[in-house]
Amino acid sequence: MPRIGVFICHCGHNIASTVDVEKVAEFAKTLPNVVVAAHNMYSCSEEGLGAIRKSIEENKLDRVIVAACTPRTHEPLFRRNCERAGVNKYLFEFVNIREHVSWIHAKEPEAATEKAKMLVAMGVAKAALLEPQEESESSVIPVAVIIGGGISGLAAMSALVSQGIETHLIEKEKQLGGILKDIAVIGPEMKNTKELLDKMIKEIKCSPKAHFHLSSRMTDMQGFVGNFEVTITGDDKCSEKVKAGAIIVAIGGREWTPKGEFGFGKIPGIITQLELEKRLAKGDVPDNAVFIQCVGSRIPGRDFCSRFCCNASIKNALRIIEAKPNAQVTILHRDIMSYGTTAERVYRDAAEKGVRFMRYGLDSLPKIEKHGDGLSVEVFDETLDDVIGMSVDTIVLAVPMVPIENVKDVATQLKVPVDKLGFFLEAHVKLRPIEFATEGVFICGTARWPSQVSECIAQGLGAAAKASIPIREGKVKIEPITTSCNIGKCIACGNCVAACPYQAIEIIETDGKRHAFVTEAKCKGCGNCVAACNNDAMQQKGFTTTQLSAMIDALVKNAMEASQ
Amino acid sequence: MTEFNPTILAFCCNWCSYAGADLAGVSRLQMPPNVHVIRVMCSASVKPEYVFKALSEGIDGVLVLGCHIGDCHYLTGNHRTAKRFPLAQKILNDVGIDERRLKLDWVSAAEGEKFQTVITDFVSQIKQLGPNPLREVRF
Amino acid sequence: MNDLGKKLTKMAFEDLKADYLLVVRQEHGDLAPAFISKDEDVGEVRFDAPYQLVTVLSRIYPHIPTGKIAIVSRKCDELAINELTKRGILDEKRIVKIGLACDGHTADKCRCPDPKPSKVDIGEPVKGIPEDPLVAKLMKMTLEDRLKYWVRQFKKCNKCFGCTANCPVCFCENQCVLGERTLVSEKSIPPGLAFHLVRSFHMSDKCIECGECERACPGDIPLLALRRMVHADMKEMYKFVPGDPKTVSPLLTTLEGEVMEDEHNVC
Repeated sequence: MPRIGVFICHCGHNIASTVDVEKVAEFAKTLPNVVVAAHNMYSCSEEGLGAIRKSIEENKLDRVIVAACTPRTHEPLFRRNCERAGVNKYLFEFVNIREHVSWIHAKEPEAATEKAKMLVAMGVAKAALLEPQEESESSVIPVAVIIGGGISGLAAMSALVSQGIETHLIEKEKQLGGILKDIAVIGPEMKNTKELLDKMIKEIKCSPKAHFHLSSRMTDMQGFVGNFEVTITGDDKCSEKVKAGAIIVAIGGREWTPKGEFGFGKIPGIITQLELEKRLAKGDVPDNAVFIQCVGSRIPGRDFCSRFCCNASIKNALRIIEAKPNAQVTILHRDIMSYGTTAERVYRDAAEKGVRFMRYGLDSLPKIEKHGDGLSVEVFDETLDDVIGMSVDTIVLAVPMVPIENVKDVATQLKVPVDKLGFFLEAHVKLRPIEFATEGVFICGTARWPSQVSECIAQGLGAAAKASIPIREGKVKIEPITTSCNIGKCIACGNCVAACPYQAIEIIETDGKRHAFVTEAKCKGCGNCVAACNNDAMQQKGFTTTQLSAMIDALVKNAMEASQ
Repeated sequence: MTEFNPTILAFCCNWCSYAGADLAGVSRLQMPPNVHVIRVMCSASVKPEYVFKALSEGIDGVLVLGCHIGDCHYLTGNHRTAKRFPLAQKILNDVGIDERRLKLDWVSAAEGEKFQTVITDFVSQIKQLGPNPLREVRF
Repeated sequence: MNDLGKKLTKMAFEDLKADYLLVVRQEHGDLAPAFISKDEDVGEVRFDAPYQLVTVLSRIYPHIPTGKIAIVSRKCDELAINELTKRGILDEKRIVKIGLACDGHTADKCRCPDPKPSKVDIGEPVKGIPEDPLVAKLMKMTLEDRLKYWVRQFKKCNKCFGCTANCPVCFCENQCVLGERTLVSEKSIPPGLAFHLVRSFHMSDKCIECGECERACPGDIPLLALRRMVHADMKEMYKFVPGDPKTVSPLLTTLEGEVMEDEHNVC
């Protein structure tokens, strides 16, 4: 007979202001198998956790329920707490009465309390049927694969090889460096890009663990964390397969091409920032220039800021003035984004050196016209509250960085998500950055979000650090939410085999009986096979049909009784 | 006459709809208190048998919420869900249970507001349909 | 043996080189299946009434490890064989079909829309009944009335499992989930609606509308009508007709209609 302890959390005012926590605890005492029901102010605090452990000991509990916030944040904490008190951590059930009750039914305290009772009853019904589980382990291949040889990919590689980890880098171009190949100097501090890249590459090449695959792409990816198999195909159509334990995605972004904004493509002399970089590198410096910031960005459909373009424009403005001290440079902006001490200082310097900054609004865009051999710009300056006219020979459009063309294909191959705009979605912005929900795959650089070079380097190092964890440990833990087949109930119809998105199930024969078999290391715990199985043979640990049916029964019993 | 207060069950997938529900909570979006969530890993693991069981035992409505097609954490998981539940609805209709008592919808982890809308609309719909006629039937 | 028997034994053992023949014959004044080998007397073969031979075939097949089996197969038998072979339960190389076109009387009994197998070896094909009158009547009812109808019908169910026992494509036998309490928790007899809803769902991608379930039901529940309604749904939504020799089940495919053929045929 299970001995269940139910702990209802006040969460300060968060739950208790709406839900009558004491009533819920009283109700919980009446539920089958519940030995003790208590309420705590903050269950997640040291005090709260200690109270739970004490109760487990005193009441000899073997199942624990906490009714509090969301399992998506605190489940690991409470599970570890159970373990400390000697209860298998998978004999713990979390009931959400904050995000799912008190916060969304704030004006209906009675109904909210009733709902909390129902949810606790369902949780108790499930907990009574929970089985202790152990996490199993799978070994990790001590090799990393990096897709993309730009600055963030290179930073990741340098961190990995310096740890002695075998690393393969795949780059689609003939040369490494990504977009930085076309940029001679990086702002805000005017760093020489070639020196930076050469130094990084030289250091990496010193290691025998570094392997470069240039003019190549990843054409297939199979497997799971610790056991990936990546197919690399060169432009010469030769393929090789590399087995790896972790994959880092650093495929970068590309400069967005304007579609005729401000006369781009129609009027000569209007170029993008990258085009300006190329010209400056050749020594082709404009006599006077106007930069227009936020072209094609911070507008509906592409409402983000690309973070580096203001610094890039300021840097290039300063380069123009250095080469031609009499040049008149104006930056038309909709806010200057130059965060951090260095960038702020450079912005101020630029203004002091004569770079003009004018704010324009979306409702009064600068007007560009051909004017003799050059261009004329008319802009309504919001600060001066007046229209200013200028004659220039070059207009530079600072455009956003957007994902590469075929990003969806890469995302599909890796089985990782991208957002509406095509940037990769990491597992959780705050709690799990730089990694995907798919374990063993990591993201850094502008493929994740447009970033400054220093940020790309930091992200690359971060991704390398995270990728090295499973490689160093040599093994990964498989959370016991995998499925398995009850041989006695199986009739080998093959539904589960067809339903599994990971091809983790096959029909085998044991002692003359044909039945389904799940390769646990491949199983991700989606439960597709469970729904496809007509015989109740496929079961998912922690979500068995008896458990979920018991939850439905508990709701029916308690809700119907209440309404009678 | 007391107003009908439906009892509704919802299956939410851990990666998207459950997270969307959490987001709705964090954003304090208010909604009617009739829906009880069961957390599953993927909408694809929800057996139609659960729905039939719940409805035949008197639950007034069942919601199955998963990730948007193409966004399933488990690749094609929700593709299967999208095939199973329309069929389950048709079977309910064939037997005479209003198929609107079962609803399949997609709520992503970032769609707190959509979660609120889905819940609010479904509760109104069920209120309109009235109590599950099987509540009164004793086999 | 009668003429029909002589004809069939010749076809099966001489022409098709089978080792066994499965027929329906007269026994004790009624019909019974007969599984005979080469030199046995096949008896008085009769096919003037509905009788799903594949039900018998699938039950005895696991006990016949080798040899070719000839089976007199009507349209519904043929569809049932397709359903079982594509799931790996029968080996199609071991089954040879002798196509039988049902007579008018039999077709009427089953309310069959298409009583002609793909290859007719015996019998004169007749036209089927295009629309099942009971289904038409039910679809015209309001939802409320329809539910009342089915509840009244299902109250007669005493969980005899005659429907599953006689069903040719019901191959779960002892592992049938309907016998358990988890999902069909009503302990009562009659078992409540969940039993019938779950069965309809499980049958949706297999049922070949032979009508054996209805004929077997001691409560005279019009199960065939419900199967027909679900069949119509499957056809409308997924363009799927059970008996399809290639697609296992539209419920196991992706939205684009791709069939995961090779994965499934692993079994």
